[in-house]
Amino acid sequence: MFEIEIVNDGTVAVDGRLDAAQAVKAQAFLDRVEGQCVLDLAKLEYVSSAGLGVLLKTHKRLMGAGSGIKLINVNNHIHDIFRYSGFDKLFEIVASSD
Amino acid sequence: MQKKFKRSFDELRNIVAMTESVFREEELPPGLRNVVDLATEELFVNMVTYNTESKEDILIRMSPHEHGLEVSLTDYDVERFDPTSAGTVDVDAPLHERTPGGLGLYLVMKMVDSIHYEYRNRQSKITFIVNRK
Repeated sequence: MFEIEIVNDGTVAVDGRLDAAQAVKAQAFLDRVEGQCVLDLAKLEYVSSAGLGVLLKTHKRLMGAGSGIKLINVNNHIHDIFRYSGFDKLFEIVASSD
Repeated sequence: MQKKFKRSFDELRNIVAMTESVFREEELPPGLRNVVDLATEELFVNMVTYNTESKEDILIRMSPHEHGLEVSLTDYDVERFDPTSAGTVDVDAPLHERTPGGLGLYLVMKMVDSIHYEYRNRQSKITFIVNRK
């Protein structure tokens, strides 16, 4: 299961598992986002390299236009994946308060 | 437990269901799940994406190991490709130089505790172990 939507304050919220089967859906949604993008990962259970590719492609596109992606509510497991991938040096990341 | 899966990303949900079942039956620590899920997905996706000449299903076997869980993926009627010899990724490169390619296998090598590749009779088998921490 994977869901992605814009919530009330303009934040993009994701829910579930962002794997290779869901990457096309995530990319299609994020391709429509313009300007600064705050991505709430509080309900993201899992991400694989396919999901990382979606984030990287979108971040590069938005950075080229002077904005980018900010990742918030990042849990420990997801943060480990970002750290191993070097994404912690590429993205502004706010950890989960849990 | 072992099962065969079709060469489709849609099978990922069924692979996750198999992993859930193994963890429940073997009472494995939930903390190992994400590493097992990630390594299994990355290796399966690699086989589906690059071994396009084969029409055979991919066999996944999960069995308890002395220190955790052993997982093997076997791909039939394929050319040799050793994921453990895949090139490294410069994770310190700046954003404009970064591309997603190769990141999956790089993460597998970083996160599992051991990994082994065998190729025999056009069968490609990769086995990894994730230990209880």
